[in-house]
Amino acid sequence: MERRTKVELFLLDNLIWLILAGYFLINALVTPRFFTYNNIINIFYHSTILGMLVLGQGLVLMTGHLDLSIESTLAFAPGIAILLTTKWVPGLNPIIAIILTLLIGALVGLFNGYCITRIGINAFLQTLSMLIILRGLVLYLIPLAIYGLDETYIFFGRARTFGNIPVAVFLMLGIFVLFDFVLKRTPFGRYLLATGGNARASYISGINTNKSIISAFVLAGLLASVAGLLAAGRQNAVNNTMGDGMVLLSFAGAILGGVSVSGGKGTSIGMLGGTLFLGMISNSLTLLGVNVFIVYALQGLLIFVALVLDRVKVKAEELLFRREMLKKLGISMKKD
Amino acid sequence: MIKLNEEEKESNRENDFIVQFKDVTKIYSGTVALHKINIEVKRGEVHGIIGKNGAGKTTLVGIMSGIIDPTEGEIIIKGKKYRSISRQRAKKEGISIIPQESQVIPDLSVVENIFTPDYIRSWGNFINWKKMYSKIEKVIDESQININPYTRAGDLSISEQQLLLVLKACFIDNAQVIIFDEVSSSLTKKDEEVLYRIIREQKKKGKAILFISHSMEEILEICDLVTILRDGKVIAKEECACLDKDKLSYFIVGGEYNYKEHKVGEESGREEEKESNEIVLSVRNFTKFGAFQNINFDLKKGEVVGLAGLRGSGRTELFKAIAGIDLADKGWIKIGNEEKRFTDPAQALQNGIVYLPEDREKEGLIDILAVRENLTLSSLPCLLNKVKLINLEEEKKMATTLVERLSILTPSIEEEVKKLSGGNKQKVLMGKVLSANPIVYLLDEPTKGIDISTKKEILKIIKEELSRFAGIIMSSPGLEDLILICDRILVLHKGEIVGEFFEDKFKEIDLYRAVQGVRDKFVENN
Ligand SMILES: Nc1ncnc2c1ncn2[C@@H]1O[C@H](COP(=O)(O)OP(=O)(O)OP(=O)(O)O)[C@@H](O)[C@H]1O
Ligand SMILES: [Mg+2]
Repeated sequence: MERRTKVELFLLDNLIWLILAGYFLINALVTPRFFTYNNIINIFYHSTILGMLVLGQGLVLMTGHLDLSIESTLAFAPGIAILLTTKWVPGLNPIIAIILTLLIGALVGLFNGYCITRIGINAFLQTLSMLIILRGLVLYLIPLAIYGLDETYIFFGRARTFGNIPVAVFLMLGIFVLFDFVLKRTPFGRYLLATGGNARASYISGINTNKSIISAFVLAGLLASVAGLLAAGRQNAVNNTMGDGMVLLSFAGAILGGVSVSGGKGTSIGMLGGTLFLGMISNSLTLLGVNVFIVYALQGLLIFVALVLDRVKVKAEELLFRREMLKKLGISMKKD
Repeated sequence: MIKLNEEEKESNRENDFIVQFKDVTKIYSGTVALHKINIEVKRGEVHGIIGKNGAGKTTLVGIMSGIIDPTEGEIIIKGKKYRSISRQRAKKEGISIIPQESQVIPDLSVVENIFTPDYIRSWGNFINWKKMYSKIEKVIDESQININPYTRAGDLSISEQQLLLVLKACFIDNAQVIIFDEVSSSLTKKDEEVLYRIIREQKKKGKAILFISHSMEEILEICDLVTILRDGKVIAKEECACLDKDKLSYFIVGGEYNYKEHKVGEESGREEEKESNEIVLSVRNFTKFGAFQNINFDLKKGEVVGLAGLRGSGRTELFKAIAGIDLADKGWIKIGNEEKRFTDPAQALQNGIVYLPEDREKEGLIDILAVRENLTLSSLPCLLNKVKLINLEEEKKMATTLVERLSILTPSIEEEVKKLSGGNKQKVLMGKVLSANPIVYLLDEPTKGIDISTKKEILKIIKEELSRFAGIIMSSPGLEDLILICDRILVLHKGEIVGEFFEDKFKEIDLYRAVQGVRDKFVENN
């Protein structure tokens, strides 16, 4: 294959990053106050919470299912953990609160995964009911918000390190890189994709498909609780509407990042690109003074764009290959 | 005058052509599937198409039936020229296809499948079920294809699904061109004969038949002429009457391969290590109600045991029960030193049993993953490095080796499996099973759809390499492959083992009778 075709194929594979770069450049030129150190840090910082949800959603999508409940888990996990360690059993170590937060997220995921695989409830209905149940509980238990959390608890969401970069940004990047590794280099990751690609064939090949699916839901719950930890930290409060409406954006981010909604396809780095793209759009539009609701609508529109983009990608790839083939044929035709 | 006559003849002949291809080319990403193909399909003629895996047969008939869009060229149907045709247009012109990968709607019944979407309607546009049932029963009687029209189509075996589509194409759709894409590859001898009879009848009715197959005997037996494809080009078009197997195989493979009937593995010095007495698998009183009863046999290391039987004799069910996919009701198997009954395939794999499924699309391959990922799926635990991560270098090496050994035709090991041709998919499936290194292989029709040159190679691998460390049970719709490489053949009939034949006593006629359920003195009852 020609060098040029190879480069073009590589760029197509990482289309979201290409778009991200393009969008960045345009904004750097036209949007006031966009191309500043602080704003760029800000984009990353504001993407961290959504990023965790996108990754969780992406992992579940890869197995061929979906999880609507993550946005409620985002509020439920820190809410219960904080209530437990401050109100119900006062004086518990804040480290325990953090561990509890993660544990509750994972348990919610475990419950979802268990009901879906063992009892055979449809994922949409299972997680829809979870979405409503958890949000209802949060609204009941936390009438408005709990303010003033412990220093340690808010560390990950609020603290900044050198260069004024938030800890949360490093945490997010670290997690994305970790999952890139998990998906590409571990049997677990491969089995996850295989399960989503063809569950029956995976099962017959000796893969424990139920385990793959349950793990994906557990990870989604866990990542949602990390998102909750970050959100609570940033606001220094647990708010009962935290995460409301974010699940739709989690789909947008995952699909933009190249995850297939029918399962079996997706990369962690792609999802990071999708997340940052969503973050950058809302940031730039806000800087341009566009109404927040319009920004929200536009982000929704991006789900649609993402699907179109996928088709365009396939078509472009075909064209590239066809050009290559025709060239080859041209040579061989001259020969005979 | 004479000239005029000839012209008339010429135009008459033109009229005989239902479909004509002019310089049709199809370019896929990564492959030129067809390159300037010219072909004519004529009324009352059985036209065979043969060629290696990936030669372009399915693409050719796919274009003709409106499933695939050609890149270039012209399609002429009854004198009208088209750049490409839609599926609807093809149907209207009376072109029916029984595709290579059977496409029934699993949740509908056989009747519903056969009449979808053209239900028989009574006044008021209501579906007239009564009429459809009586029609289907008539058709089944007439064709002598034995299928229960009221079962769910998804519960049929692959061969039954394909027969269902044959019924639909030949007796329900009013087709003028009927395309058979490797329909016979999963049929047993008996069904094959029914199929041949149906084809001959259709031919007499003046229909045009396109018949794709990898079996030279079959092509020579039922076709009037055959087009040989290689690398997307027409290599030759010959009358079958002036062909024999040698010549045909020469056209197919291009001289690089010498077709000879010989028993695989005979000349290699494997004899001395044969006949170890170590039993790797015992099956006792194995029963699944409605599928098979009281199955008893032992499998030794180094042994290749064939499982012969008609459609519905319980072969696949038995394999699946041993591999823990469907559960047996009674009895047990013994592998290693333990007696057990596996309840899921992961358990079976851990204990050294690997199963190659009959249905490669639904049960075998993850078709949106790459060739590499499919090939190594069952052997990832052997590809881990010290820190339990997949060793990508090793993985690539393994995949590349398998692609070469099994001559899998693919642009690269990173190609999605769904883009391969049917036979190449089957090779990937075979490769996946080969790399798992178990102690018992259960191979359910492993060479289905694989071309003549690779088939020999694969049978050889089974006979000479796999059997070195493992015991093998394999099934095949026909008996030829089994006779070629098995040490022993077990015959299943209606879920029972009705005969056991040893290598020195393989006689096709006896085996054939046993398969039909005729018990006689050769049968050593268990
Ligand atoms: N959707 C696709 N995308 C890319 N390449 C394809 C696609 N479908 C087929 N091909 C390629 O086109 C070539 C011809 O395929 P085709 O299915 O026509 O082969 P075939 O002669 O039917 O082989 P077989 O005997 O294995 O069924 C193959 O090399 C295959 O890899
Ligand atoms: Mg084919």
